[in-house]
Parts: sequence; structure tokens; C-alpha cells
Amino acid sequence: MIRADHAAGGALAALGLLVLALSGDLPIGTLSFPGAGMMPKLLASLLVVFGLLLAVRARESAPLADVSWQDLPHAMRVAAVTGVAIAFYQTLGFVVTMGLLLFVLIFGVERRHPVSAAAFSAGVVALTYVLFNIALKTPLEPGLLGF
Amino acid sequence: MGTVESLLLGFSVALQPDVLWYAFLGCLVGTVVGVLPGIGPLSGISILLPATFGLDTTKSVVMLAGIYYGSQYGGSTTAILMRIPGEASSVMTCIDGYAMAQKGRAGAALCIAAVGSWVAGTFGVLMLTLIAPPLAAFALRFGPPEYTALLVLGLIFLAYMSSTSLPRTLLMACLGLLLGTIGIDSMTGHFRYSFDIAELGDGIGIVPVAVGLFGLGEILATPSANVVRDVIAPKLAQLLPNIEEWREAAMPIARGSILGFLVGLTPGSAHIISSFLSYGVERRLAKHPEEFGKGAVAGVAGPESANNAASTGAFVPMLALGLPTGPITAVLLAALMIHGVPPGPTLVNEHPDVFWGFVASMYVGNLMLLALNLPLVGVFVNVLRIPYAYLYPLVIMFCIIGVYEVNHSIVDVWIMLIMGIAGYLLRKFGLDPAPLVLGLVISPTLEMSLRQSLIMSNGNWTIFFQRGIALALLALCFALLALAALSLRRGRKDWRSRLAEAEAGDCSVE
Repeated sequence: MIRADHAAGGALAALGLLVLALSGDLPIGTLSFPGAGMMPKLLASLLVVFGLLLAVRARESAPLADVSWQDLPHAMRVAAVTGVAIAFYQTLGFVVTMGLLLFVLIFGVERRHPVSAAAFSAGVVALTYVLFNIALKTPLEPGLLGF
Repeated sequence: MGTVESLLLGFSVALQPDVLWYAFLGCLVGTVVGVLPGIGPLSGISILLPATFGLDTTKSVVMLAGIYYGSQYGGSTTAILMRIPGEASSVMTCIDGYAMAQKGRAGAALCIAAVGSWVAGTFGVLMLTLIAPPLAAFALRFGPPEYTALLVLGLIFLAYMSSTSLPRTLLMACLGLLLGTIGIDSMTGHFRYSFDIAELGDGIGIVPVAVGLFGLGEILATPSANVVRDVIAPKLAQLLPNIEEWREAAMPIARGSILGFLVGLTPGSAHIISSFLSYGVERRLAKHPEEFGKGAVAGVAGPESANNAASTGAFVPMLALGLPTGPITAVLLAALMIHGVPPGPTLVNEHPDVFWGFVASMYVGNLMLLALNLPLVGVFVNVLRIPYAYLYPLVIMFCIIGVYEVNHSIVDVWIMLIMGIAGYLLRKFGLDPAPLVLGLVISPTLEMSLRQSLIMSNGNWTIFFQRGIALALLALCFALLALAALSLRRGRKDWRSRLAEAEAGDCSVE
């Protein structure tokens, strides 16, 4: 039976191997003058060892099938909306991007009333803008629109 | 300059109106952060970090530290009134705190938690005042081998104290150390794993990783439909405990303060561990242990005092040695470095205004928190009425602003998102992200001190065993590993396994 630690340990050991493969051109150096590759290769090897150790002792963990993924669709929607906001943050600026981010999450993802979602989004963005730009004198990203 | 003169210098800094204002702001934000479940002090500190760029170092650190210890006060409010720990360190408080609230003693429980937190916080600062300067003076003797041994000990101590298994913690620490090697190698100039992305040349920042793992990761793992809040409104007229309750609280507060401070000195989730230990100690010492779980005053007073003393104790290694004991102190160290103040043993002598101003501000901050938490508890309870569906988008917005404003780098924000997804997956597989952040923070220092040690010994590994302090620190490492191996071999449940079970069960622990 595949258990959660088989998957976690295996994935992290594979990551360690990938790092080792990517470290080919980094010199290990000598003991008296260690090179740039010494520490990363040592750590990647330890990652493989501990990953395998976790997989070997996996009987202590729950079966992989028992890991609940019920919250995954919600998490994916939130992550996707956040990703889109990040992609447009420098172009559209703080006010537009964050206003849309809040509105889409509250109305689109959480299915709240559009008017209250819009009012909340506009109010929060305006307050934050005033707080950072005026009170704290830390200008937020203006974007192409200039605010 | 003696301790008293230095402390007076500190108070002359801390009592300036603008420093007082920022201490108050930090305490206020910290209390709100503590009250709100799902938003930890780490997210609060990281989000407000950019807002401190325009301030001088003292004001910045005073405000950010206020968020940390303020959150420990605020965490008890949700634990007592809703049976939801606002902070992980308040898990134990919700057992007897909520039971007291159900008996109509919510006000008394809140008052005991606040007074206990104040006593413990003040005791912690007093000990910090006495211990940190001589420890820093001692640490001036440290060379690269001693620092290497100290950092390795920090990691192994973290792994040993962790409530998850040793390989899991070491695995996460290795991943963090590995992430810390990304960027230009400071000794040879080689680019490591930067994949032609210029921003990665400077390495991965602590803030995007910490905010991603703890802020965004927590949100992704919390579907809003599951957040149901049932608040017991405290009757403020009954805020003061009766004489019997004060008597029952006195010794647990004293014991919790001492225990919490000592645990706070060690790496790991000290503020969480200390509250669990204190609860266990109080139940063992109680004349009527059967009352625990049914509204025992000691079950609130002990853990609440312990977690506050521990959060202050964590500042000792941070200020004296430049060694973070957890992700929160790591971000505070990053704040010091951003302001051009190198943390470590030289801080006391080279920046006495920052060090002593910070220490003195904590005396004042604890007093502010006592004044804030009791009369304004009704206001803070209202914060809990904000629906989670409105609250978490707000937190995501602040996460993005907080990370972006540190370096004005969108790459950092992408890293935050990736770390948020990683944090979600790590939680699914029961892997604790805290050692990862700690590994990331100490990685550059560990690598540098290890390589310097080898260079100065001409490649002789035994240098770590030839110097007294390094040898003692490494001996402690081996002892801890041996203890962990012994408990693994015996297959018996020790206190760490029981702690893990208790954490997993949250408030249902009996």
C-alpha cells in the first residue's frame, strides 16, 4: 500500500537528485579551499538520504488515499486568481489590480453579494492606498494608469 | 556602562513619543493578528515590514517585535471566547479557558490570561536584560568553527524539540539550507541555480518564503466554508477574577514564566512547546487534576504565562548571538539587516541605542498590552465578526503588497505564490515548514563559516574538535542525536510524540 510518506519522501529525494543533476558545472573544490558546489551538493545528497529515510519509515504514516483533497478546488481557484493578480500588478498598479483581486475572490470565488463585494473591495483599496501612500509615506505600485 | 545605566539609556529612547507610538501600533496590530485565527504574527510582521523602511532601526524593530509579543496576548481571546486558538501557542488555553467561559467566567479567564501574560512578559524582559549582554560578550570569542558548530546545534536542537519526527524536520531544514544556496557564491562569484533570472542572483529572500509558506499556505489550506464562528460575548462587569481565582492563578503564573523563558531560549516552536509543557506541569502539580478540562484556572494561567515568557526568551539568542530560533525571529533579524544593523554579539556595543531602546520598549509594550487587552476586549471580539470570506482576500492583498514592497521585485511575489502552494502541499503531507525557513536564514552564515573554518585549518576537519567551545557544542549535538535515536529504537512514545498528538488534536486534548 502506498502511504503519504512514500510520496513525500520520494518526491523530495527526486528533488535532491534533480539538484545534483543541475549542479554538474559547480566546482566542489578541495577541503582546503571548498568550491561553490560543495555545500549545495552536500545538502542535495542529504535531501536524498532523508527523503529515502522518510519513504523507508513510511509505515508510520497514513495511506496516500486517506489524504483529503476536498479543499483542493478552492485552493486552486484562490491560487489562480492570485497568480493573475501578480501577473498584472506592475502593469495595472495597486488600485486596479487589488480592487479586482478582492472583488473576484469575494464575488467570484466566495459567491457573496456583488454589491457588498464591490463596496468592500473599493473601501479596503482606498483605505490601504491612503494608509501607505499618505500616512506611512510608502508609495504603492502606480502602474500604467498613474495611481 | 553598567546594566542600569544602559537600561536608562534604553528608556530615554523608548519613552520618546514617536517610539512609544510605534510600540503602541505594534502591540495593537499584534493583538488583532493574535485575535484573528489563520493570520499569524509572521504574516503580520512580514506584511508590515515594508512600512518600516521609512523609519529608523529602533522604531522598526520596536514595532515589529510588538506585533510578535502582542499576538501572544491576542491569541488567548479567541481561545477563551470561541474555543479556537488564535495562535498555535493558545491551543492549551482553549481547553480550560472556554470551559471557564461556559461557566460565565469569561471575563475572569481573559483577565487572568492578560495579567499572566504581563507578568511573564515583564519577567522575560528582565531576564533578557540580565542575560543577553554577558552572552553577547562571551560570543565575541566565537570564530568560524564555533559558529559552524552553534548553527549545526541550532538545527539539531530544532529537530529534536520538534513535535514531528527527526528525519522530517532535518529534511525540511535541508531543503531550506539548499534554497539558501541559490544566488551568487560570495567566495567565488559562481552563479548557483539562478537560471538566468537576475533577481535570483541575490538569492531567495526570507520574506517571500515566510509569507508564502505561513500566510498564503495557511489560506490555501483553509476553505472558507469550514470557518464557523460562535463567539461568547464576555460580560465586562465580571472582568475581575475573585480572590480564590487569583490565589489559584498566582503559582501557575510564576512557574509558567520561568518555564516559558527557559524553553524560549531553545530553537524551535518554543512558544507552542512551552504552553504544552506548562499545562502538563500544572495538571501534574494540581491538588484536583480532575478539574483540568472543566475550567481549571491554572490551565489558563500557566500556558498563557509560558507562551509569553517564551516569546521574550527567543529574543536572547537573536540579540546576543544573531541566531534566530524560529521563523519569526528570523524575519526580525532580516529587518535589522535591511536597516544596516548587523545582528549578533557586536549589537550591544556598536548599537546600544537600538539594543537597549528595544529592551526598554518591551517593558513599556507589555504594560500597553495589559491596558489594551482588558478594557478593549469587546472591540477585539468584534473583529472576529468579519466573515472569513472577506478576511482572507484582504490577507492575500497584504501578502502581495508586503512581499513586493521589500525589493520592488515581482519575482519575489511569484516566489511567494510558489511557496504558498508548497506550504499547502507540505501541510497535506504533515511536513512542518518552520525548519525550512530557519534553514534558509542560517544557510549563508553556515556555509561561510564552514568554508572559512576549512580554509583556516588548511582542509583539516578536526578543527571542530580542537577548539573547546566548538567541541562542547558538537558534543551536545551528538548527545541530542543519541537521545533521539534511543527513543526511536525503543519505539516508545516520549513527550514529543504526545505533543504531536496533542497539536494534531488541537482543543480536543484532554
